[in-house]
Amino acid sequence: MNQRSLLAAVAIVVLLLLRAAPAAAEPYLAVMTGYKCNVCHVNPTGGGLRNDFGLTYAKVLLPAETVDNALDSWNGKVTDRLRVGGDLRTDWSRVTTPNSPSAQSFSLEQFRVYADLVILPDRLGIYVDEQIAPDGSQNEEAYVRYGNTTDGFYVKGGQFYLPFGWRLQDQTAFVREVTGINMTTPDKGVEVGWEHSAWSAEFDLTNGAANASTGSGYQVTTQVVYTKPIWRVGIAGSSTSSTAGDRRMGGLFAGLKTGPIAWLAEGDVVHDDSLERTLVAGLLEADWRVLKGHNLKLTAEYEDPDRAVRNNQETRYSFVYEYTPLPFLQLRAGYRHYFGIPQNNQQNQQQTFFELHGYF
Amino acid sequence: MKLFRTAARGLTGIFCAGFVALLAACAGSGEGLDANGNPIVPGTSTSSPLSADFESIQENIFTPICSVCHAGGSAPEGLRLDAANSYNLLVGVPSTEVPSLMRVKPGDPANSYIIQKLQGIAAVGKQMPDGCPTSQPCLTPTQIGFIQQWIMNGAPPAAASTSAAAQSAPFAVTSIVPDSMESMSASPPQVMVAFNHELDASQLVTHSAHFEKLAPGSTPVVMDQVPAHLAIPGANPRALMIWPARALSAGRYRLVIDAISSSQISDIAGQQVALGAPDERGEAVISTFDVEVLP
Repeated sequence: MNQRSLLAAVAIVVLLLLRAAPAAAEPYLAVMTGYKCNVCHVNPTGGGLRNDFGLTYAKVLLPAETVDNALDSWNGKVTDRLRVGGDLRTDWSRVTTPNSPSAQSFSLEQFRVYADLVILPDRLGIYVDEQIAPDGSQNEEAYVRYGNTTDGFYVKGGQFYLPFGWRLQDQTAFVREVTGINMTTPDKGVEVGWEHSAWSAEFDLTNGAANASTGSGYQVTTQVVYTKPIWRVGIAGSSTSSTAGDRRMGGLFAGLKTGPIAWLAEGDVVHDDSLERTLVAGLLEADWRVLKGHNLKLTAEYEDPDRAVRNNQETRYSFVYEYTPLPFLQLRAGYRHYFGIPQNNQQNQQQTFFELHGYF
Repeated sequence: MKLFRTAARGLTGIFCAGFVALLAACAGSGEGLDANGNPIVPGTSTSSPLSADFESIQENIFTPICSVCHAGGSAPEGLRLDAANSYNLLVGVPSTEVPSLMRVKPGDPANSYIIQKLQGIAAVGKQMPDGCPTSQPCLTPTQIGFIQQWIMNGAPPAAASTSAAAQSAPFAVTSIVPDSMESMSASPPQVMVAFNHELDASQLVTHSAHFEKLAPGSTPVVMDQVPAHLAIPGANPRALMIWPARALSAGRYRLVIDAISSSQISDIAGQQVALGAPDERGEAVISTFDVEVLP
């Protein structure tokens, strides 16, 4: 048995072992595999640093071609207690806006590094997610974690992303913009989580973005997800009290695997007291694993920025091809078309992009 | 198991129906709305494509994008970019993050802090709009180019504010920021009083101002005083800016104008208007507001 076969066999064994426990990954991968977030990520609510299985998946199961020898020893661990990882995304994009010349540029979208220090195995740890570039260093997540994140209760304290709906890679998705909860908007507070069998649940008490400088209220966020091998469903809610105006949100999301296609859906309703408006956003995404290492992502989105105003809805359609030729390297090409009211140029723009994504 | 199979079949149906519905969903026709998606009020103008003039920049950029955060008492850095206040708080006003730079320095876009913030090259803080490019798009080079061109042209105000009709209107205060009884999330960098005519800057030497911190209760009792200085931005003679000498701690404040002769201020044509309303001592109070600052 050569090393490639051995690695594949180990991965399959790990997969089988972990099927009994809750698991997860990038959302469509989670739906495709039927696992919960904590199967691939250190963070039980997903995203960021990959764990042993996440790295094995990235080395063996995700790419079109595996690489023998060179990566066998890499498991993210600097020491037995310290694990590191990172993501770097750079792209070329072109934006075409009606009545304006097209604009294109190369940009460094993101360079993030993660670290997890295990102080007491399976009980106590410290996690950090730091954005290095662009715009200088900026902390995204930094929290102390106590408890069992695979089966039982745990507590996080510090700064972290809130759990609300699909933790999408595309932070500009309507559902992530309308709710204001995404992987660029961490909050400070405490999270109590529970992982057991097919269930995942979180309860968060945080400052709330509107209270960042005033300290005038709190945000309460909760989410419950039920995961089965080919489908899952989740419900999330959040309420922010603030002198700037209260904000309440509710969301339903679900995933389904049909053959080689993973389907993701989310619908959110947001009510802003200060602006006296109710917003609605929806997402449907289909990810077709054409071949090993190839994924075609189609997304349809809808947003109504104010239910009380007629004729103001927006839609967005995306076509993205993701090619993972080698472990830890992904190439993405995509096209997004926004449709909005004709008198607003920004709401009718088109985006084309090519992205290089390196991760470890 | 039967329950799960039924649930899976149900989810499949919901997905198929939902996908078809979303694919069929259409964007709004925009009928009856302005370019920002707000209902058109009869008698008001509709917005136009982006161009290098302040009205267009306000309608296409400041109002729909920036004023989502930069509005009201919680506006970051005290910078309100709603249509009523943006010009007076931008043009010729020092930035709070880098006070040596004007937010907008007419004729000099490279040294206008707003351009540095939009391009992501400012020495302090994040690129604007906040969250770009990850949680929302950055302004395109074309959009920033229009703002640069407007600054290069001297950052003139909206044409409506300099029209003959506007000049023939009686001299008056058009806005005060923060206005009376507003609640601020932090110490305001300045108080701005905007007028519809250009001010007579020579009169300013007879005025000074201070902030008074009031004790809780219905009867005004002054607990502390914070000196302030006044200025009319050279680039925007329609605004009077009053800066506190130090940051205001939490509490209720009123801004009092001290006048040697009277609390009237004149425009360049000699018309006068009263600055504020008299308090219990007869001094002119321009604004009373609350500052809520974290301990």
